[in-house]
Amino acid sequence: MSTAPELPEKSSERLKELRALSDRAEAGDAEARRKLRKALHESSPEVVARASDIARRSQKVLISSAAGKDPLVEEALLARIGLMRAEIAGENPTPLERLLTERIVSQWLLVETLDALVSVQLCPDLPPEKLAPMSYLRHVFRWQESASRRLFAAIKALATVRRLQSGIPSARCMNVQINVSAVHDGDAVS
Amino acid sequence: MLGKLENPNFVTEVMFVGWETRERGGSYYTRSRWVNGRVAREYIGTGALGKIVALDDELERLRKEEEAARWREELECLERSAAFLHALAEVAEVLTRARLLADGCHRPRGQWRRRRREHRA
Repeated sequence: MSTAPELPEKSSERLKELRALSDRAEAGDAEARRKLRKALHESSPEVVARASDIARRSQKVLISSAAGKDPLVEEALLARIGLMRAEIAGENPTPLERLLTERIVSQWLLVETLDALVSVQLCPDLPPEKLAPMSYLRHVFRWQESASRRLFAAIKALATVRRLQSGIPSARCMNVQINVSAVHDGDAVS
Repeated sequence: MLGKLENPNFVTEVMFVGWETRERGGSYYTRSRWVNGRVAREYIGTGALGKIVALDDELERLRKEEEAARWREELECLERSAAFLHALAEVAEVLTRARLLADGCHRPRGQWRRRRREHRA
């Protein structure tokens, strides 16, 4: 029986420290914000590396569950998430962008797995012995819904980090997000 | 024999089966079903007929229990495979918040924004 992979104790401690400093900084403590910068500089690369490593190893476990022991599907999924990872992270991603990319890719994998499970169950040619009971399907539906929400939240987090780290201010006009730098460069905004 | 009573939504077939003892003596095999949101009792019979149907119901119940256990196991296996997502989400959430705060952002009304003073600088 496989158990949920956990961060090493040292990384978990550092994460707790970052959380405590963030709480204080968010409450307006300027000293905590200064300390947070220092702590991030010292510990975030290690925490990110550990978390990314766990994510990649766990993605493989999830892929074998999703592939149902079919080596071809397993290889295809591995290649697909490799491509996705490169596309989402882009060139020279920051450690945080790398971590958020892993989160998006993992969540996407779960959404795809659950979608596949539901699709199979909705197939009219499914033999009765393979038909899942309603209690099982309800559980999968609820899980599917929360996984989709978490996927969108992960995508939004990456977009927010990129927008705020780029320093480009943005504005909303008639419900359309406008990238101010693009307007300044003379690009058309649709 | 007591079946599942806690959640009628999940129970579509036999939920309560048993032998009723009659005042004039003898036992009568009955079973209850959910029909249109209500419990309907079905009277099966006494003696050998009752015993045969009771045995059949018992086998059916065991078969369903086995099937439910199989599906539960499958779901648990998938949940174990995806358990790391919680850890990953937590790390990403803490680091994102820390990075944005350290970079001079704040979150008025739940939306992350760059502080005006810092943006001009």
